[in-house]
Amino acid sequence: MMSNKISCSRRLHLCAACLVTCIVVTVSVQAHIIPPENFHPAVESYRRMNFLLNLNPIPWHDVLKDTAVITKHAATIVPAAAKEFHDQVSRLIEPFTKAADGNREMPDTAARRQTARAVFERSTRIMARLLKSRLEAAAAAIREGGYGAECLKTARKLWAAFEYEIQHSDSAAHTRLGIAWLELSTARGSRGIMKAGEIPARVDLFTAFTGEIIGYVDANFGDHYQTPGNRRLAPLPTKSPTFDAAANVFVKLPPGHNINKQVPRPRQILNMAARGVDEGETALIAVGDMAFDSAYIFGEPMRSFQMSCNTCHNKSITNPQFFIPGLSHQKGAVDISNNFFAPHANNGLFDSLDIPDLRGIKFTAPYGRNGRFLSLREFVRNGIMNEFNGPEPDPVLVDGIVAYMNEFDFLPNPALDRDGTLNDNASAAARRGEKLFRKPFITMDRMSCATCHIPSANFIDHKRHDIGTVEGAEPFSRDRALDTPTLLGIKYTAPYFHDGRAPTLQAVVEWFNDNHCLGMKRREIDDLTAYLDTVGDGVDAYEDTSYYLDAEMEEFSFFLSAYEFLKEKDKPELMTITFETIASEIRNHKWELQDYQFLPVMNRLAELMDEAIEANKQGNRALVDQKVETYRTLFAENVDDLK
Amino acid sequence: MKQMNPAHLLLAAAALATIPATRVWADPPAKLKIVFIAYENPDQLVEDVKPVVNHLEDALQMAIKYFVASDYAAVVEAFRNSTADLGFMGPLQYCMAHEQTGAYPILGEVYNGKSTYTSRIFVHSDSAIKTPADLRGKTIAFVDPISSSGYMYPLDIFKDRGLIRTRDDADKFFKRIYFAGGDEQAIRAVVNKFVDAAGIGQYAYSLLKLEERDSVRIISESRPIPSHCVVVRKELDKTTVDKVRDTLYALNEGPNRQMLKYLYNVDGYIKVTHSDYERVEQLAREYGFLKKQKAGD
Repeated sequence: MMSNKISCSRRLHLCAACLVTCIVVTVSVQAHIIPPENFHPAVESYRRMNFLLNLNPIPWHDVLKDTAVITKHAATIVPAAAKEFHDQVSRLIEPFTKAADGNREMPDTAARRQTARAVFERSTRIMARLLKSRLEAAAAAIREGGYGAECLKTARKLWAAFEYEIQHSDSAAHTRLGIAWLELSTARGSRGIMKAGEIPARVDLFTAFTGEIIGYVDANFGDHYQTPGNRRLAPLPTKSPTFDAAANVFVKLPPGHNINKQVPRPRQILNMAARGVDEGETALIAVGDMAFDSAYIFGEPMRSFQMSCNTCHNKSITNPQFFIPGLSHQKGAVDISNNFFAPHANNGLFDSLDIPDLRGIKFTAPYGRNGRFLSLREFVRNGIMNEFNGPEPDPVLVDGIVAYMNEFDFLPNPALDRDGTLNDNASAAARRGEKLFRKPFITMDRMSCATCHIPSANFIDHKRHDIGTVEGAEPFSRDRALDTPTLLGIKYTAPYFHDGRAPTLQAVVEWFNDNHCLGMKRREIDDLTAYLDTVGDGVDAYEDTSYYLDAEMEEFSFFLSAYEFLKEKDKPELMTITFETIASEIRNHKWELQDYQFLPVMNRLAELMDEAIEANKQGNRALVDQKVETYRTLFAENVDDLK
Repeated sequence: MKQMNPAHLLLAAAALATIPATRVWADPPAKLKIVFIAYENPDQLVEDVKPVVNHLEDALQMAIKYFVASDYAAVVEAFRNSTADLGFMGPLQYCMAHEQTGAYPILGEVYNGKSTYTSRIFVHSDSAIKTPADLRGKTIAFVDPISSSGYMYPLDIFKDRGLIRTRDDADKFFKRIYFAGGDEQAIRAVVNKFVDAAGIGQYAYSLLKLEERDSVRIISESRPIPSHCVVVRKELDKTTVDKVRDTLYALNEGPNRQMLKYLYNVDGYIKVTHSDYERVEQLAREYGFLKKQKAGD
């Protein structure tokens, strides 16, 4: 319950880990999970709304929800200003929400930009007003002999509305005001416990430091706040004399996002490994494995967020909890043709799609939900360049990714014979369902489910069909066909359809029954569902442990096994990407160590990769060789403890 | 009246020895009143603890009234005016509550398999500061003027090394002492270089984002601190105390173990008495949080 809701020493107990260089402790850490930041609700909405207002298209309904949260909190503190804010932003946003609902024409680009800016400015002003009000209330309480604890706590939380931008564009003020907040929490004194340990407040200091913070907030975000034109909407303190106009204030993912991978991990089956091949001699696959885990094959913002193919396709399988507000219409979905990941390739539509499972991908061409890429190679190159803003990839890199993805196998399924028919391991219901699956329906032009999901062909036909799930651009448009997906492994890839509209396999069957007038009775629906559930099953879909640092470390060594191949092919850029990926992966995962005594080893391994990058940039191949060899030796010496 | 046999008398004496001599037993209350302490979101806490409250009502066969306090002063006040029978407290706050109201602990919390934790002195990893002595004339952030791991025990690190003797000495030893208001604020003040050091509980480290953790380094650690405890009002009747203690203790094992996550996410409980907190009490007297005992007290 409370893990992200309580603070102070009590909250500290909630976290499992600790420490560091000079003190050794054993900890119990699970996986690589980044908890959400803990914001005041109004700040959470303000920061999320800022993110949304910079998107194209802007999800106006979501913006409206966030302005409502800000209004709700403001109404308890500054009711008149809250009402004015609510009336203004509602009026501004209304044409866009009506257009989104299909009730009027969408206003033009200039109107969109102007409105986004106006909503952002008004939201910034009211957040500043809220912060000021809480600080003033704390100061008044202190003057009257109280402690102002709650007001000060709320004010400090409201400061988080602006703190990130101040920190990265006005570091002098960030430090000065950071100390001012410490002065405030000290100057308020303590009421002790029933007078014992009571410390009287320092009204003079509290007043002075309150004034300092309010002065800064007023000057930069107060009632006359206007955002500079032609910049991303963000609360930058441009009126501060120490503001650095050249500072690169990088966009943050909005509150509510979740890019953590699922735990336990899905079990990945690489064909060559399953056949007992020595991974040390599969260099091209190692390059691909590294690239699949690397943020460095992409451009910004993927690099800064350390997002890779593996973020959404964790171990090749759909990450069902992936979510970014404004880009995901639901968990496990994302719009990858927007202005956030790759502005040049924005299609101007909010077309968030269910993230596909990549198991068995070598059998499932064509690629993309609408099958627009005939080859995996085209699909991969487009993903790097036009979905995630990367540079033109080296042909060896693309070869590597394709080689690696071609190793992704389906889960073994003991209920299926080689021709895709069910065997005796399947239930009676599933076998009754199999007959329905193969039964032609008049309402489906005498086709059966098996016509497209051909059992002997891994349940696909490599064609595109319009089954009625896509809303076209206009009534008779021909833009509705989608690639037939395989049914193998689908038990673990809910929700279903390209937009994830069906939460369960039963919902899928019911959708077909209703929309294609199949006339199936309840028991038939249940039988067909049982069939899909059986076909979509597999052996050991997930790993049986939540601790997998040792497996990750082995994988990083596998990445490095491609070093000699890359050297032979004279690919210094790919060598750098490999070293960067290993270094950042070690730094991301090192907190999973169950014994922090080995943190220095992890740090040294990462440093060796940093040093290899530097040597590689200088063209000092002998030194690169030495760093790689030292890494391998150090890893081998500690392999049993790095878990 | 049926007479007690010697064995019963011995058992009763042993039981009484674990509780303050001034205890006044009362009849079981019609309702057990529990005060939870909320650090962030009281409304959410009210919702979150419902499963525990329901479980306790079933196990104790007693109605429960519960409320949420935002600080320990309110918890102690609630003990004093009998609006709470049971609460959750840090070690120093408990000792202060004990002195003022006679409240006593029945269970200690266990985290990471231990019923103790420590305070640590954190500095920025770029800092030249290596030892507590290097902090003379520097700035430091503590958590709160009444905090075990966020003030008293960090001070004790400096006292142990002969750098200070009293709280007043600390004001002279450091250039400036801040009370940041929370562990997270204190350790983040180090990360952001607002202060030279922070003296806080060991787990503050894990409140940092992963990318921030390499920014801090530990230069010293305190002696073990007994963990937070479940405290009962002095006058609460023994039957109810025993039942509450046994019910919460039983959460350590068995099907209701998941309830612990609603009780500040503890790993479990150990049974404790006031004697487990005597060292804390002694330190609290040395640092002026409690009155010095007169000779013969």
